[in-house]
Amino acid sequence: MTQLRRHLRQTLTIARRDFVATVFTPIFLLFLFAPLIMASFGAVGGMGAASASDSSAARTRLVVLLPAAKARRVLDADARWRPLLAGDSRQPQVEARAPAPDPARQAAAALAAGAHGHDTVDVAAVLYGPLDRPAVLYAAGSRGGARYLAGLARDAALAERAGTAPAAATLTAVQTSAPSQGVRKATGFFAVFGIFFLTLFLSGQVAGTMAEERNNKVIEVLAAAVPLESVFLGKLVGMFGVAVLFVTFWGVVISQLGALLPGDIGDSLRTLAPAVGGGWFALLFGGYFTMAYLLLGSVFLGVGAQAATMREIQMLSLPITIIQVAMFALSSAAVSHPGSWVAMLAELFPLSSPFAMAGRAASDSALWPHAAALAWQALWVAIFITVGARLFRRGVLQSGSPTPAWKRLFNRR
Amino acid sequence: MRSMVEGGFHKRCTVGRTPSTTGFAGGPPPRRAGRICAGATPPFRAGPGARARLGSAATRGRRVADNGIAVSAEALVKRYGERRVVDGVDLVVPEGAIYGVLGPNGAGKTTTLRMLLGIIEPDSGKRRLLGSDAPRDVGDRVGYLPEERGLYPSMTAREAIAFMGALRGLEWRTGRARAAELLEAAGLGHAIDGKIRKLSKGMAQLVQLLGAVVHRPDLLVLDEPFSGLDPVNQERLEALIRAEQARGATILFSTHVMQHAQRLCDRLAIIARGQRRFEGTVDEARALLPQHVHYVPHRADPAIAALLPADARSDGEGWRFQLPPDGIEAVLTRLIAAGHGIAGLSIERPGLHEAFVRVVGEQEARA
Repeated sequence: MTQLRRHLRQTLTIARRDFVATVFTPIFLLFLFAPLIMASFGAVGGMGAASASDSSAARTRLVVLLPAAKARRVLDADARWRPLLAGDSRQPQVEARAPAPDPARQAAAALAAGAHGHDTVDVAAVLYGPLDRPAVLYAAGSRGGARYLAGLARDAALAERAGTAPAAATLTAVQTSAPSQGVRKATGFFAVFGIFFLTLFLSGQVAGTMAEERNNKVIEVLAAAVPLESVFLGKLVGMFGVAVLFVTFWGVVISQLGALLPGDIGDSLRTLAPAVGGGWFALLFGGYFTMAYLLLGSVFLGVGAQAATMREIQMLSLPITIIQVAMFALSSAAVSHPGSWVAMLAELFPLSSPFAMAGRAASDSALWPHAAALAWQALWVAIFITVGARLFRRGVLQSGSPTPAWKRLFNRR
Repeated sequence: MRSMVEGGFHKRCTVGRTPSTTGFAGGPPPRRAGRICAGATPPFRAGPGARARLGSAATRGRRVADNGIAVSAEALVKRYGERRVVDGVDLVVPEGAIYGVLGPNGAGKTTTLRMLLGIIEPDSGKRRLLGSDAPRDVGDRVGYLPEERGLYPSMTAREAIAFMGALRGLEWRTGRARAAELLEAAGLGHAIDGKIRKLSKGMAQLVQLLGAVVHRPDLLVLDEPFSGLDPVNQERLEALIRAEQARGATILFSTHVMQHAQRLCDRLAIIARGQRRFEGTVDEARALLPQHVHYVPHRADPAIAALLPADARSDGEGWRFQLPPDGIEAVLTRLIAAGHGIAGLSIERPGLHEAFVRVVGEQEARA
C-alpha cells in the first residue's frame, strides 16, 4: 500500500469515527434543528414586534384639514400611492377633518391632543391650507409622514388643475440578454453571504474537536498510529461530513417547502443571474463553501488544539467569529468593487478567497480563475493543517527542544 | 555516569522461552529454558520457538527485522529545555524477545519509547524499528499501549478495538470479528457491546490492550502495562504477553515493577536519569550482586565466627555471609571438622529488585 493510500485510509478512519460520534447522538438532533428553533424564536419575536408596530401604526393618523372636495382629491392620491409603500416606508392612515377658521391653530391642537392622550389616536402630521401652497405641521420623528402628506397635496393639486386623475401607465417587461450590474452585485453578495452564513454556523465547532482526544487521552494512541496531519485532516473531513449532512437536510427541506419562504426572498432568488451561468455558479458555490469550511476549519482546529480546557476553547469563539465577520466584510467590499485592489486582496488572501471568488463568479464569466483559486485554497488548507499538526506535536505532545520553534516548524517530522 | 555494568551482549546469549501453548486465556507460565553461552556473533540467538516465529512472519510476506533485531536505538537524546530527559540511550531488542525497559519514575522510559515509535522526534541519535529508519512507515506492524490509557467512552468495547485495528490497517469487519474473539478469550465476553464508560478501569485497560494486538502486530510496545491492574488482570496480561510472543511478536515494555520483569523478560535494560545503566538478561542482572549464604549450626557458639568469612554476621538463629568466590565447600569442611555441623544451609540469589536498586542507586530507586 502506498504512503498516500495509507494516509488516506487513516484519514478516513478518523473521519468516520468523528462523523459517527457526532451524528449518532441526541445532541446532534438539537444541532440539526437549531435553525428551526432559531427561526421559531425569530418568528415569535417578529410577530411580537410586528404586532406592536401594527398596533402603534393603527393608532396613528396623518390628518388633512381641507374642505371636503379637496380632501377627496388627497385621499384619492393616497389610494394611488399607498400600495407602493412597504416596510419602513409605510405611512399611517390619512384622515380628513373639516377645517376650522384658524387651521394652523387647529393643526397644533390636533398634534397636542394626540401627544397628551386627549384623543383616541396619535397624530403624526397635519396638512392644511390651499393645495397649491400647503403647510404641514408634524411631530418630531414624523418627518416622513409630513413629506408624504406634502407629496399627496402636490399630486392632488396637479389632478385638480388637470381636472382629472392621471391615467395608469402601461407596464411592459423586457428581458435583457445579460444581467445588469445591479443583479450581478446582488448575486455576488448572495454568494458571499450564503457561504458566510453556512461557515458561521458550521465551521466554528471544529475548534473543540481535539479536546475530546486530549481529555480522553486517546491522542497518544492516535499519534502513535497515524501521522498527526492525518488526524487533523480526518477530524476536518469528519466534521465537514456533518456540515454537508446539515446543509443537505435543510436544502431538501427548503426545496420541498419553498412555498413557505417569504415572498420577497423567493423573488430575490429567482432574479439571481450569475455571469458564469446557473449550473457553474451552483457548482462553484459548493466548491467554495467546501474550501471556506476547510480553510477556516483548519485554522480553528489548529488553534483549538492548543487549548487545554473547554474554557479556553469557549474563549476562542469570539476571535473565531471576528475572523469570520472580517472575511465577510472584506469579501463584500470585493463584490462591491470588482477589479479593485480590495477585490484582488480578498481573492488572494487565503481565508477570504473562497468568499470573494464566489462573489466574482457572479460578475465575471471567466472560469479559469476559479480553477486556480480552488488549487490555491487547497494549498493553504494543506499548509494550515501541516502547521497546526506541527504546533500540536511540539506544544501538546511535548516534543520541545532547544531548536528554535520556527525552524522545527519546517522540519520534515 | 556511563560506566555501566553491562552484560556482554555479543558474548552471552539466551534462549527464548519455550513458546506458550496455553494462549493468553490461562495456564501456567512457561518455564525458562535456561542459558546457553556460545559466544555467538548474532546478538541474539533465537530458540526453536523463535525460529518458528521467523517463519511465521515470513509467510505473512512482511519484512522481518534486520539481522534478527526488531528495535534498535543508538545514542538517543531528547532535551526538554536544558534538561536531557534521554541522554544517549542505546537499545537492541532481538526479534521475538520480551524486552523490558526498567527504571524509576522519571528515568526517561516513556520518552524513549515514544521516540522509538516516532511519536516524538529525538534531538539526536538513530533508531530502527522493524528494519525501517522511519518508525511511521512500519506503523501498521506495531501495537502500542501508552502509559496514559485512553479510549472513547461512547464507543463499545468491540468498536474501540476495531477502531484501533483500523488505525493500523485492519479492516473494520475483521477487526470487529477479532475483537469479539479477543474479548471472549479475555473473559470480557459480557462487555462486547457495552460502552467503554461503563467498564471498570482495569477492564477498559484490557480493552485497550486488546486494541493494541487486534491487528496481530510484529512488535508490541507496552508502556507501564501493569499499572492500575489488579492481580488477576496482571496475570491475564502476563499470559497475553506470552501468547503474543508465542505468536511471533516482539514485546518491548517498560515497567518499574520488578516482579513482572523478572518473570517475563528475556532481556532488559535499566535506565536512570535518561541514561542506560545496564543491559542484559535477568540472570546477568541478578549476577551483579553476590549470592548470600545462610548457615545454621547445630548449636550457637561464638567461636564459629572464626571459621566463617570476615563479613559473616549472626542473625540470632544462624549466620549470614556472602558466598565466597571459591565456593562454600571449604567453609563447610572447616565447620564440620570443628564439630559445629550443619542444621541448615541455604544459598540465596539476589532478586532483580536488589540488582535494580544496586544499578540505579537506592535514592533513585525510591523515586
